[in-house]
Amino acid sequence: MNLQDLEHLTIAALAPSIRERKVSVIEITRLFLERIERVNPHINAYVTVATDYALAAAESADREIARGRYRGALHGIPFSIKDNFATAGIRTTAGSKVLHDWVPDFDASVVAKLKDAGAIILGKTNLHEWALGGTTINPFYGTTRNPWDLNRIAGGSSGGSGAALAASLCLASIGSDSAQSVRNPAAMCGIVGLKATYGRISQHGTVPGTGAYSCNHTGIMTRTVADAASVLEVVAGHDPEDPLSAPQPVAKYSTSIGKSVKGLRVGILRGYFEEVVSAEVQRTFSAALEHLKSLGLETEEVTTRHMDLMPAVKVCTSRVENASAHDHNLRTRSRDYSPATRNAYLAALLVPASAYLMAQRVRRLICAEFHELLRRVHLLALPTVGFAAPTIDECEEGWLDIDGKKIRRQDERGGADSLTCIPFNVTGFPALSVPCGFSQTGMPVGMQIAAGPFQEDLIFSVAHAYEQATGWHKRRPVGNWLN
Amino acid sequence: MKEAVERLNAEYQLNLTSAEMDAIAQQAEAGRRLFQKLFEADVEGVPPALQIHPAIKK
Repeated sequence: MNLQDLEHLTIAALAPSIRERKVSVIEITRLFLERIERVNPHINAYVTVATDYALAAAESADREIARGRYRGALHGIPFSIKDNFATAGIRTTAGSKVLHDWVPDFDASVVAKLKDAGAIILGKTNLHEWALGGTTINPFYGTTRNPWDLNRIAGGSSGGSGAALAASLCLASIGSDSAQSVRNPAAMCGIVGLKATYGRISQHGTVPGTGAYSCNHTGIMTRTVADAASVLEVVAGHDPEDPLSAPQPVAKYSTSIGKSVKGLRVGILRGYFEEVVSAEVQRTFSAALEHLKSLGLETEEVTTRHMDLMPAVKVCTSRVENASAHDHNLRTRSRDYSPATRNAYLAALLVPASAYLMAQRVRRLICAEFHELLRRVHLLALPTVGFAAPTIDECEEGWLDIDGKKIRRQDERGGADSLTCIPFNVTGFPALSVPCGFSQTGMPVGMQIAAGPFQEDLIFSVAHAYEQATGWHKRRPVGNWLN
Repeated sequence: MKEAVERLNAEYQLNLTSAEMDAIAQQAEAGRRLFQKLFEADVEGVPPALQIHPAIKK
């Protein structure tokens, strides 16, 4: 195996070779570390590379497998972890200056589960400061660049994870998603991103203040739908350390791969976000819907009564909850925040409790409406992000050009790139982004598929069928800098 | 809103400049306008959403 072989590797392809000892974990780990050393300076996907830890874990994995103690599909698989999940002995910054030197003495539960499964943690990936934003233009750790075009953002807030996967610097990554943060970079980097049902994956060990309570989720980023199913099988489940985690039994998600999807009804979700969906993304999405129909699915347009209140509910709950987590640091270290982040939290401290409670009451209404909607249709679909990855310059200037119209990248409703994603943060319903084509500028576009609570298996079935029928996931970025 | 920001500035000892306080006040005011729409929804008898699972609450 050589460095180029990594570009088309998946968990599903590598795991049998590791199990049968056709390839050693140390060999694979060294190859990925070598590639990170060569490629990461161009894209800044990793903020910390855990070389010594990864090599030691790889040697240990090889010894175990040689003794016949193969742990399962993730044994020896190289992962990266977004830098807002605590990792014992490895610096965890949350993309902030405040935590620049923090080295936790414990693992987040999701990291502990991966280690128990024998996964190899290669390092920590860059994110938007405190995960509050969708560009991963980070004032303290630098900008993560999109491997498809180095002048463009990789999305965010889990931008480092998206870029690392697109550039073949790991085979899977763990991210967090309170507005878009797993699905947005997945769409912009041409990979798969799953935000599972609220509580499906423990949030214990996620840095407080990087997602709040009501709308935050731990997510999975991979190259294929089947790989996402394999990872979810390992990391899902109730966690006594996380009182918000769900007790529902964990399904054998990998069995949903390859199931028939004929006759399933898909609701095309319409609403307040249409102004930020560009014509080319709409065309790409419409073509994806035609593919779904050719697979035997039926589609119809749907919406809900209180859809237009989604941004207000999302911003009110998340900002207030996040600001409360930052209270101490704002009192003692406010200059260690970027002005944009500090101002957002300080403004949130002025939101009256009556508004917060009203947001939570409307949230219940919206959840009930979505439950009702998913009695009519089995799944929901819409573009993951309304536009392909903008340039870093556009994001720094704060304006996007969507079909000749100037749109503010960020306004009181949050990021323009989050508006299509937030319905599933507000409701907690599972949603997955799968590559569905490319823009005229050659940037990936994603389609979002969602379902009712704990129906990740249904999403996997449809997304996998679509993925296999189209093959968008097989494309890789090119460039001399990647070799 | 600027007065509220000034009170916050004093209480949290933030040492914000006037321009910084203006920016925060502007952001808080935009949020207030956005959240005002929430009060137009009919939520009679609807309690706030809490996602702690009943099995765990026990």
